[in-house]
Amino acid sequence: MSRPRKDPRMERAAHLVPGGARPRFDLAATPATSGRLRRDPRAEERLALVPGTLRRRLDRSQRAPAVSVVAVAAPVEAEAAPRRVVIAEPAFLVALVPDAPGGRLSAHDRQLFGAARLLADAGGGAVLALVDGSSEELGAAGADRVLALPITGYDPEAKALALNAALAALDLRHVLFPESAEGGDLARRLAALSGEPFFAGAESLSPKAVTRAARGRRVEQRRAPPRLLSLAIDAIAPHAGSLHEALPVEFAFPETTGGALLSAEFIPADPARVSLAEADFVVSAGNGVSDLDTFRMLVAALGGTPGASRMLCDAGLMPRAAQVGASGTVLEARGYFALGIAGAPQHLQGVARCEHVIAVNTDLHAAMIERAGLAIVADAQKVMPALLRLLGEEGAP
Amino acid sequence: MRIALLLSAGRHRVSGRPAPVPVELQALRLAADLAQTHGGQSGGTVTGLHAGPEIGPLTDALGHGLGHLVHLRMPAEADPAPALTAALEAGGYDLILAGRSGQGGEDTGLLPYTLARALGRPILADAAALAPGAEAGTLSVEQALGRGARRRLVVRLPALVTVHPAAPAPLPFAFAGLRRGQVEMREAAPSAPAPHEVEERPYRPRPKLIAKAAAGASAAERLKAATVAASGGGKLLVDPAPEEAAREILAHLRALGLIAPR
Repeated sequence: MSRPRKDPRMERAAHLVPGGARPRFDLAATPATSGRLRRDPRAEERLALVPGTLRRRLDRSQRAPAVSVVAVAAPVEAEAAPRRVVIAEPAFLVALVPDAPGGRLSAHDRQLFGAARLLADAGGGAVLALVDGSSEELGAAGADRVLALPITGYDPEAKALALNAALAALDLRHVLFPESAEGGDLARRLAALSGEPFFAGAESLSPKAVTRAARGRRVEQRRAPPRLLSLAIDAIAPHAGSLHEALPVEFAFPETTGGALLSAEFIPADPARVSLAEADFVVSAGNGVSDLDTFRMLVAALGGTPGASRMLCDAGLMPRAAQVGASGTVLEARGYFALGIAGAPQHLQGVARCEHVIAVNTDLHAAMIERAGLAIVADAQKVMPALLRLLGEEGAP
Repeated sequence: MRIALLLSAGRHRVSGRPAPVPVELQALRLAADLAQTHGGQSGGTVTGLHAGPEIGPLTDALGHGLGHLVHLRMPAEADPAPALTAALEAGGYDLILAGRSGQGGEDTGLLPYTLARALGRPILADAAALAPGAEAGTLSVEQALGRGARRRLVVRLPALVTVHPAAPAPLPFAFAGLRRGQVEMREAAPSAPAPHEVEERPYRPRPKLIAKAAAGASAAERLKAATVAASGGGKLLVDPAPEEAAREILAHLRALGLIAPR
């Protein structure tokens, strides 16, 4: 935030009453215009006051913000459409190859756009997105140009050959990849194919320097950004604030012949066999569950991966591999369904990265109830058969 | 079937002492299982290859089921790619296995790709299981994707495959295997040191992004993104009937897309 600088001499001169032998100042007169409007803290407080409480309580977050004109003016500015940026004559191109699983940009892909904008905006360059299929969200993500790659199905070698042709012909200054399974594989294929210098897993990036960990994370390597880069996850903030045009670009890719890959077939995960660290949805039992047969049937019916708290594993009722928590497995799951688990701090550490938590527990004040998105204060032993019955009724017709 | 396994000079994750890389021992297990089941009449052989100044504790791989280990001795700063390419070409291997990313060098994971390029062989990444293909001379590779999903790829041999940590655990260490195994030392032809254009400093951990709000967002949005995810702030039902609780749970799970819609 920048404020106009206060100039006391100017202010004094504004109060000067003209005429008369001696200089006279009328300090009560309001100065003409200072650019900054006055805040009225008392009025703001009156608005923030929560009515109907015995003790005086202020709630500054929930209500319409303050009275002052400045504060009213700011949201209007923010709500305006994002600034549209058109780069007609780019000085150079920064290309990026997002993973875009299922045609949608992942969080890592958006961070990649942030990094590409950082490199491009430093010298008037443009960001070129090399994607499999066209997408609506590329302009808002920060792409100035979009080039569709002629790839169908899983064929990384053909994709690398197409990228190599584009790299040679389009004079790309940098090509950025996400350091994910697919993006990292593609980046290394392209690096081996083109012989260009490659910087794997950059952890910080600026137009002048990139850094990465090397030699078992004991050494940090640093250099100017080379032509091929792969970016570690959660290193750079995604791009926001301006809308770019995402103009389609034409490019004649060379014909590729079939590679050594004879067939590729996707096998969805089997939740019953997948390890806890990789599981997407975990159904977990704690000390509040005594009927483990019903629990296993419920896990199978919900299509989840079975987990357990330390209590059950110590008692030998569930295998040690199923233990969730600090001394068991730290989950990366999207959903966690806790049955009869109070939520010891060590258990909550294992659940910390789960997006959605559902808890069933008899104790209203349990930590797991507080953590859950849907919390049910009830006996898990009674809820489990009810769930099974309901699933059975739904499956029957 | 002749299988080569690339071993790198790893360091222990906690103590920092020289040790074999775990994922390479997992690759060894995949290779040993494949050689045993798909050996053919002659029986499969697995050969370990290491290029570097010292073999050190890599001999432990012999105890984990490796029969023969070849050490290509070269200075620490030399580029291992030419020596390994020559050794792999001379060996006539059907399958070359490597870890996801070797250790001891720059840890870029680029070496298997440059070797595949130099040998003119296809490369597949992130294998979690290997099996002989339906046709002779093919290999079926289960590639590990995120969240326990797999992709089954069939590739024509000879090929180079890198192994994912989701592969089965290494074979247990057996001291007799270590005594039985042979280490062969060869002097590698001198090669130019790898070009080194990076500046190196002691490692300093960088802060990771925490808030999920975008860069242009206001401070209030960033605060919201940082705090809302941690606190549940969700729905609370106190003592509902079990049927009602079950209905709520299923509706919630369906809304989140965690179970299939009805």
